[in-house]
Amino acid sequence: MEFRDQLVEQVPRLRRYARALMSNREHADDLVQDTLERALSKTEFFEKGTDLRAWLFTVMHNLYVNTIRKASMRAMHVGIEDEGVAERDEMAVTPNPAGSLELRDLDFALQQLPLDLREVVLLVGLEEMSYSDVALTLDIPIGTVMSRLSRGRERLRSLMSGKVPAARLKVVQ
Amino acid sequence: MNTRGTKIEDDDFHAYVDGVLPEYRRETIEFLLHENPAAAVRVDDYFSLNSLLHKRYDPILAEPLPARFRELLQDPTPKWFRLPAANWPRFSALAAMLTLGIGIGFGVQSGMGTGGSASGSGTRASSLHDVRYSGHDSGDSFVRKAALAHVVYMPEVEIPKTGAGIKDLDFVKWLTSRMGTDVRPPNLEQSGFQLAGGRLLPDADGSMAQFMYRNAQGERVTLCVSRRKASSNTTAFRLYEDGPVKVFYWIDGQYGYAVSAGIERATLLRLSHDVYAQFTPVSE
Repeated sequence: MEFRDQLVEQVPRLRRYARALMSNREHADDLVQDTLERALSKTEFFEKGTDLRAWLFTVMHNLYVNTIRKASMRAMHVGIEDEGVAERDEMAVTPNPAGSLELRDLDFALQQLPLDLREVVLLVGLEEMSYSDVALTLDIPIGTVMSRLSRGRERLRSLMSGKVPAARLKVVQ
Repeated sequence: MNTRGTKIEDDDFHAYVDGVLPEYRRETIEFLLHENPAAAVRVDDYFSLNSLLHKRYDPILAEPLPARFRELLQDPTPKWFRLPAANWPRFSALAAMLTLGIGIGFGVQSGMGTGGSASGSGTRASSLHDVRYSGHDSGDSFVRKAALAHVVYMPEVEIPKTGAGIKDLDFVKWLTSRMGTDVRPPNLEQSGFQLAGGRLLPDADGSMAQFMYRNAQGERVTLCVSRRKASSNTTAFRLYEDGPVKVFYWIDGQYGYAVSAGIERATLLRLSHDVYAQFTPVSE
């Protein structure tokens, strides 16, 4: 399969992760676009036969960290300034009003997590990466992955306290 | 914490939630959760967080690929015959609708009867006229890919305004050489659907051809034909629902077929039978 085709396959996952990472639709897609452009221009750095997904998430991680370093973008991440985006986002949640409140809270809670914790919680919980792939992607020791996961989940849990449904939800594998 | 002589670490709870804990540790954890309500609540919350994340962000997986990514990643050599600019306004409404239902997840058992009869219990789906709702099986990744391809590529479908038929011979020839077999798009004009485009899709398990059809009302149907590396037994028609996208699919030896659309089930089933008949030799 050609490299571009392989990239196309990864785009939906990259977009999902970017949206969870920064909440604002336009900024998230900008990050995905930067990631793809970087991947296309640095194709020679990708080792054939290795995990393309991990490589792309690494590229995205580096870009994002650099962006944050360069500019203080935090205010933009919440994305409330973009009315159009907010409206369209409304369509993306469940029709149940109580449910959508919870999901909105999730956006907000995630934005309050420090980036290093947020990344690990999302790569494990949403992207379902193995702990070792997360370590590889973020270039950190596996022990750090575990401690960030633990702190991230606890922090998120308290941020969402009272909003996480009490009933146990089965995880769809 | 200590129970039954095995030390339980914080990491074990996470590994348990993420489904990566070895079996023997799992039993220990489950015993401990039974004994310790506080730990049980914590673990439940972790499970809930994971499913909330999926519920909130999985709909993005089903969004049509924005044009900027398609342009960026377009192969310089054309792989599909041209489909003029998409009818975006109409499509965006469907896209918005799509994301509503998709959080329910894959393999939803809807428990409806077949073809209007609700007396499905106990009858086996041994004939192709039966329909089974999809659970998790080997066809899953294929059908998911077909549903995804329907959503991702459908906006590109537009019938040429000239009224001239699509010159598909070159494409069919090219597709045949790539798939290593003669793959012709079936004719669905009897049902009012005209061929509007096609492409070869990247597929790790083999190759997959996608044909797109449209009727006068602008409804779109895509047919995916996948040639698989492994051959399996012929299956009955199965229905897979992903939000408003319904997919009828079946596997016949080396080939998998999936007919996807956001139209009524009965209409889609009729179309699927039409497709099946055209791909199956009369002698069978």
